[in-house]
Amino acid sequence: MSAQTGRSNNVVMDSLAQIGHCGLFLLRILASVPRSMRYVRETVRQLWFVGAMSLTIIMTCGLFVGMVLGLQLYHVLAIFGGTSATGSVVALAIYRELGPVVTALLFAGRAGTSITAEIGLMRATDQIAAMEMMAVDPIAYVAAPRFLAGLIAMPLLCCVFCAMGVFGGHLVGVSWLGIDNGTFWSNMTATVDVWQDIVSGVVWKSAAFGAVIALIAVFQGYTTPPTSEGVAYATTRTVVASSIAILALDFVLTAFLM
Amino acid sequence: MTTTVPAKSDDRALVRIRGLTTVLSGKTVFDALDLDIPRGKVTAIMGPSGTGKTTLLKHITGQMRSGRGEVRVDGLNVPELSRDQLFQLRERIGYLFQNSALLTDFDVFENVAFPLRQHTKLPEVLIRNIVLTKLQAVGLRGAAALMPNELSGGMARRVALARAIVFDPMLILYDEPFVGLDPIALNQVLKLIRTLNDTLGITSVLVAHELAAIKEVADHVFLIANGKVVAQGDPKTIADDGSPWTRQFFGGEADGPVPFQYPAGDYAQALGFKQGEA
Amino acid sequence: MSQRKSYAVGTGMFIVLGFAALAYLATQTSSIANSHQGASYAVQTQFANVGQLKERAPVKVAGVRVGQVQSISLEPGKDVADVTLSIEKKYGQIPTDSVATIYTSGLLGDQYVGVQFGSAKTFVSDGGHLGLTRSATSLEDMLSKFVGAGGAADAIGGTFSVKADFTNVGALSVGAPVKMSGVAIGSVASIKADPTKLDAEVTLAIDKKFSQIPDDSSAAIFTSGLIGSQYVAIQPGGSPNSLKDGDQLVLTQSSMQLEDLIGKFLVNGSSSGANNAGGNGSSNTPAGKH
Repeated sequence: MSAQTGRSNNVVMDSLAQIGHCGLFLLRILASVPRSMRYVRETVRQLWFVGAMSLTIIMTCGLFVGMVLGLQLYHVLAIFGGTSATGSVVALAIYRELGPVVTALLFAGRAGTSITAEIGLMRATDQIAAMEMMAVDPIAYVAAPRFLAGLIAMPLLCCVFCAMGVFGGHLVGVSWLGIDNGTFWSNMTATVDVWQDIVSGVVWKSAAFGAVIALIAVFQGYTTPPTSEGVAYATTRTVVASSIAILALDFVLTAFLM
Repeated sequence: MTTTVPAKSDDRALVRIRGLTTVLSGKTVFDALDLDIPRGKVTAIMGPSGTGKTTLLKHITGQMRSGRGEVRVDGLNVPELSRDQLFQLRERIGYLFQNSALLTDFDVFENVAFPLRQHTKLPEVLIRNIVLTKLQAVGLRGAAALMPNELSGGMARRVALARAIVFDPMLILYDEPFVGLDPIALNQVLKLIRTLNDTLGITSVLVAHELAAIKEVADHVFLIANGKVVAQGDPKTIADDGSPWTRQFFGGEADGPVPFQYPAGDYAQALGFKQGEA
Repeated sequence: MSQRKSYAVGTGMFIVLGFAALAYLATQTSSIANSHQGASYAVQTQFANVGQLKERAPVKVAGVRVGQVQSISLEPGKDVADVTLSIEKKYGQIPTDSVATIYTSGLLGDQYVGVQFGSAKTFVSDGGHLGLTRSATSLEDMLSKFVGAGGAADAIGGTFSVKADFTNVGALSVGAPVKMSGVAIGSVASIKADPTKLDAEVTLAIDKKFSQIPDDSSAAIFTSGLIGSQYVAIQPGGSPNSLKDGDQLVLTQSSMQLEDLIGKFLVNGSSSGANNAGGNGSSNTPAGKH
């Protein structure tokens, strides 16, 4: 129980217990995925909330990240007389690292918290128990669709982020700083590998991040003490835990995918 | 009369509990509890706060399966059911939560239609007819398009009731159905419980404290204290059986078999007036 | 119900947008954009050195992409690399005496094959052969050429040589410029280790035009910028006598190793107590502490 109130003395044991619970919870979700296929509509609805509703922030941030990268890298590369490489360096930086990580952090803040808060409140107001009583499995109806939505939405959001980032880099590099348009694109297309950088860098990585964020968010919401304090605490913990998990996982995945 | 009810076999009992013993975090909630809930009647379960009345409902619905003993609902022993069997059983049980527990994402219509959509593949026209019938029964057909946050407490409880009866269950469990209702809403709910019970032939179990309301609606009352049934009978006569439990509970006395003081150590010692051993 | 439909439509649009972005990334910004091309024909070439040339590298005529490198292979027993170029059909009129050269696009860029047209009236056909090639120039060669050209080693009037001993020449190489006041006046002729003095003996070839250098001038090895090459700088002294052929420069300052520089910087930048781990004498730790 101390793991749920978060007031335990032993932080390490607490964290381990949390990770263990989280893992078991993942198994329960995965086991309920076939049953949750009946609730496709619910998954679609969640996809709307976590995916489509996050588009604005993702697109805006992607644009600015691309613009600032273009600006910074242009001036760094100018030292070596390599400004023509701006396009490829912007694209590689976004695809391999910034795209998935920044999208994931934004996603954790935007969608993860709302998932946790929503499920926490559903618990606090007995909606979860009511589903149990109506013979509807809340893992299949509440947890699995949100998990799947996170898993599907993240790669899509990440692709949008990357596209906006490249657009932003082009905007600054070509329209503002005057790199030749053809050079910008040809350098980029010459260095970016579709499998290495886009499929494994953008798509797989962000799918893994999406699964982790959605799992943490659902788990925190589902196990929170049904009080307003508990929900607030769980929401905070979703952001903290997913941010740490994203960056740690990023290192592991990068080491593997490289 | 004070400790146990004779465990005679009664085929008219829809819910039969035998020897139920539950220990929750070190505290014995039920101690070999025996209880029969008769079919087709309105049964009230009363008792001091903290005696585990809601826990009893959870045992009946299988939300809590940790106790020892037998909980038979319509002949099925709930603790032994598989998850699928339990879900099948629950489809025949309506449960009214204390705070209504309407799904906040959906409007009133969809809330009532929710169990139908989950468990059946009925055509939309049929779902619409069933839902409107149930809403009409609780007098809220006009509120079908409202969202849960637009409802008053009494309305929300009636919507939850409509949802609970949408499958025409054999048993409805009411968890504190009268809490926080104004006298008008309370009487509406009272009337509904009685009408639904009589017209649909449902067995109703309600957990409540409101003596006046229970006298009006219940056919049978169980008084639970210290993990056992301490008194049972007709609500109009149970108060007169003379046991100290009934006298304290129905007389509303502050002290009695249920102590005013929560169990604690010696008062004088706690205040430091008396030197203890430690 | 209409509520649900709007979710579905919005979600559908979101998914379409996501996949459109993915398709855009994959086709417009990655190597796929280069690899899709129309009908093409193959041309064989041989290079003595392909350098960093990779498969799928572009083939350009007048800087415009006309195809890509299809394969690079080395036949056992031969010392030239076979490179097959895949050139688009519409650029079918490449004269047979054209020259294929491996270029580097920019200092940091990838390499590509450039084709300069010859004047022959016949054109290379599918499976044909381009005989005239120029191999990749390695960056080192280019740099030394550049340095050589810029190092005033043209020395029309001939040079005289001066020796200087350095304890450490760092990355100084033969051909590096010798500069005075930032202007090249000669080049490094040779660097060899002195077996007895255990120093590096550097011979500087200085243009005869600059015969008025005082003989007490000092020589230092400097680096032009962080990643630049190293050169020898002469700082003139005040002696009335001038350097002559075969003279020795006594005052020298060795090359500063980047590691040393960073180490110094780090040590100086840290608190004084961390000083002198190497222990070269001047301890400034408080004596009372011992």
